[in-house]
Amino acid sequence: MRMVNLRVSYNARRIALGLAVILVLGFLLLPGQLQSVFQSIGSPLGWVISWPLQAVAGIHDRIADTWGRYVALQGVEEENQQLKRELDLIKEQNGQLREASAATERLSALLEFKRQALPTSVAAQVIGRDIGNWYKTIILNKGASDGIQSDQGVITPAGVVGRIVKTTASTAVVLLVTDPNNAIAGLIQRTRDEGIVEGTTQGQARLKYIPLLSNARPGDHVVTSGLVGGFPRGIPIGTIIRIDKEEEALFQSAELSPEVDPNRVEDVLVIRSLPLPTEGERLGVPKPKP
Amino acid sequence: MKALVYFTVIIGLVPVQSVLLSHLSVWGVRPDLGFVAVCLIGLIAGELDGLLVGLALGWAMSLFSGQDLISSAILKGAVGYIAGLAGQQVVYLSPVVLVMGLLVVSCVVGLVTPLALTLSSQQDLWWAAWTVVLPQACLDAVIGGAIYWLLWSRLNIEQVMSESRM
Repeated sequence: MRMVNLRVSYNARRIALGLAVILVLGFLLLPGQLQSVFQSIGSPLGWVISWPLQAVAGIHDRIADTWGRYVALQGVEEENQQLKRELDLIKEQNGQLREASAATERLSALLEFKRQALPTSVAAQVIGRDIGNWYKTIILNKGASDGIQSDQGVITPAGVVGRIVKTTASTAVVLLVTDPNNAIAGLIQRTRDEGIVEGTTQGQARLKYIPLLSNARPGDHVVTSGLVGGFPRGIPIGTIIRIDKEEEALFQSAELSPEVDPNRVEDVLVIRSLPLPTEGERLGVPKPKP
Repeated sequence: MKALVYFTVIIGLVPVQSVLLSHLSVWGVRPDLGFVAVCLIGLIAGELDGLLVGLALGWAMSLFSGQDLISSAILKGAVGYIAGLAGQQVVYLSPVVLVMGLLVVSCVVGLVTPLALTLSSQQDLWWAAWTVVLPQACLDAVIGGAIYWLLWSRLNIEQVMSESRM
């Protein structure tokens, strides 16, 4: 096999090399400006790349699905026996649940209120993982054209997944809650002490800046405090597994086990920011009649 | 034709790297196929091709990663350029020498990257060297060596190098 030879004249080589050097110098002298320009220009390129990316992700999912089903068949006999035992137990529980359903109807009214209080969200699928080894990120199949922007929060029904850091037209990159470069405002649900949740290099999370007088203990749940944009208050982040209190330190910190396993997450919700309410709307001041 | 090949490499590498390579990770570290591709392109096709493909590939990969565009594009461009310059100096390059070269260059690039990224204080240079840089360099070297060995055993690589550099 012979590689096709595209002969480039010496002058063209020099011009291309000169342009590349100018580009590199530009990057070094005006990093922020050029980065945002190239991020915008890169949106169509990202759209083009998202097609093979989604195709490969689709094929990968199908293979994984088929493989999973095949492996599941190996233990179907044993599983069948176990399911029969569970069915007897469930029949007994069914009667109790009928009683509980009446109570559920009453509570659903409250839940409806909660649902309305949450900001709008966009459902997205995970189609890839970070390309490098320096950040813990996932790639979503929704992007700027779906209204997704940087700094928006990403959750699952179980809890916080991370925060959007980059978008193209049809994809978005989510920095996971377990990445050490991520910071989310958190709140210990029982004690109401606030802090900042950061990821750790071990793939866990850590709540920092807990007041020394706080009586937080292992088993306490940490939720979003809603103070910084991206997440409403009360979304679960993790459970405290250890408290670290150092001598002469101004604060204590706590190691968390995240509620969501970022390595297994497949479908997420992106919380789209709502316009902030005005002071009048927040305090419930009636609008003047036209 | 060459541009089409490079475009296909750029378009194809991103899905492979982000979807399939997660299954090939060793201790949570994946090889950087972009680095390997840019090295080989620079080595075979020359410093200009290496530089331009490195810049373009770094840019494309940064769109799907937390890494910023500048460090990604400039580092890959520099790697391609240096690989091209190195390729000019050698007449015969065996796969073993290439593996050693990839190992060293990947280590150097890996140690420069955390400085360029200004990572969290938890991710210091010592942590980076042992948990990311060395494992990744080993994987890059093995994969790069395997690809080069395939090319080397099936093609007259010296002739391809001299033809594509003209």
